[in-house]
Amino acid sequence: MSKSDLLICADNLCASRQGRLVLDHVSLDLAENDFITLIGPNGAGKSVLLRHLLKLETGQSGSVTHREGLKIGYVPERFQIDPTLPMPVKRFLSLNNTLKPDAIQALAAETHCEPLLERPLAGLSGGELQRVLLARALAASPHVLMLDEPAQNLDVSGQLQFYQLIEDIFEKRDLSVLMVSHDLHLVMSSTRRVVCMYHHICCSGAPESVARDPEFISMFGKDMAQMMSVYQHSHNHDHHGHDHHHHDKDTEVST
Amino acid sequence: MITPVLLTAAALALLAGPLGCFVVWRRMAYFGDGLAHSALLGVAISLLIGISNQLGMILIAIAFAVALLWLRTQRLLATDTLLGILAHAALSLGIVSMALLGMEDAEVHDYLLGSLDSVSPDMLPILVLGSGLSLGLLMRLWPGLLLMTTSEELAHAEGVPVRVYEFLLMLLMGVVVAGAVQLVGALLITSLLIIPASTARLFAKSPEAMGVGGSLIACASMLIGLPMAEKMAVPIGPAIVSLSVAVFLVVLGAKLLFDWTKSKKPAA
Repeated sequence: MSKSDLLICADNLCASRQGRLVLDHVSLDLAENDFITLIGPNGAGKSVLLRHLLKLETGQSGSVTHREGLKIGYVPERFQIDPTLPMPVKRFLSLNNTLKPDAIQALAAETHCEPLLERPLAGLSGGELQRVLLARALAASPHVLMLDEPAQNLDVSGQLQFYQLIEDIFEKRDLSVLMVSHDLHLVMSSTRRVVCMYHHICCSGAPESVARDPEFISMFGKDMAQMMSVYQHSHNHDHHGHDHHHHDKDTEVST
Repeated sequence: MITPVLLTAAALALLAGPLGCFVVWRRMAYFGDGLAHSALLGVAISLLIGISNQLGMILIAIAFAVALLWLRTQRLLATDTLLGILAHAALSLGIVSMALLGMEDAEVHDYLLGSLDSVSPDMLPILVLGSGLSLGLLMRLWPGLLLMTTSEELAHAEGVPVRVYEFLLMLLMGVVVAGAVQLVGALLITSLLIIPASTARLFAKSPEAMGVGGSLIACASMLIGLPMAEKMAVPIGPAIVSLSVAVFLVVLGAKLLFDWTKSKKPAA
């Protein structure tokens, strides 16, 4: 595939936060029908990278190129609505676009939001809210779906259901997915490419080949399932001071 | 005389309803207070350079918004601290300049609490027109403003020019302040924005319902409060605000009663 067929092309991106380099010459391509799962420890710059790919921020050097007319549906990591704003789900889905009622119905059916349409956004559970945000991201029929740790506040069965929904949408719709997620084991079957980053791209490739990558193994350990719950970085080249211990999901959410 | 004033008050109240919703949703009450306080500096400046009061107040409101937005990007102090500094600086400078310019205490008092005496009749058509245009602009910005109030990140990602919208919202608040200071008074302007919107929140099920409800309640408070204050010879601003608080309490009571009877009923 030639460069011009790529949906998003990031070339040698560098960006700093408070004087610290958080993106260090990051290059990443997203092709049609791609499914990239972006992993890496907290503070690795995953969300920052997403914000650059969305062009919400521009780095100090490097470039991000979108294919002409590219539409991106985005599910942000944090979403909190003020309870003083009475916002029914139905209204939220049609906000700032021209979606017709039957299109909203279809969207709600696709994302299992039908029973929620009349309910206020502020009263939804974590899982319900994520589905509504997903519906909102799909409203403009995007070419790319970007999700930033979409299941981090869900319980285990909620996570399973949510990722299943993403996989279904990826199957049925003509779009590419770029997702930041720690739950690699749950999206293994759809993921075409795993990109592992810590400020720079450490390794990337198909899940099976990445799992055999020595750098990946040294970063995440041998056991895939265990890797996501308890992992430790011990490789020693230029990763100064990132000796992480993630004991459980709670410590990740709270940081 | 009372009729053109009433018409102007109603136009301002129509704008204050939906605008007040954003003040409530985006927690801008303190900003509204700051803007209203800075209006006194606007009056002093317009007196000094010989422009209309309203123009002076709008110019100061713009300066106030720009100063706040800029200081906020410097991340030196929290927004409410910055507002406190800016608002009280403008209020003090305004009152000191008014005194230096030889303004009577009674006149300053009118700007603080509102009075019909300080309203010049030839300004009224401009105020009605300004309110109408502002309401039109607010309706145009409404979907984007709502989205960025729900989630700024999402609005940004979907192409809403968030910073521009935020500034325009502040500018619209400046229009309400400039239009209503002489009527309601600088001390009570914010309540004209937040009390009707908060009352509407008690029963509104959608943002639009809250906006329209706020408009109607603000209008009613103005149209009843103004003549009442005239008749009883009490300051206008406090009279209107007292009335709208009474409406708020009645609606709150009704809502609590309604919720209570509903919870008593066995679930169907």
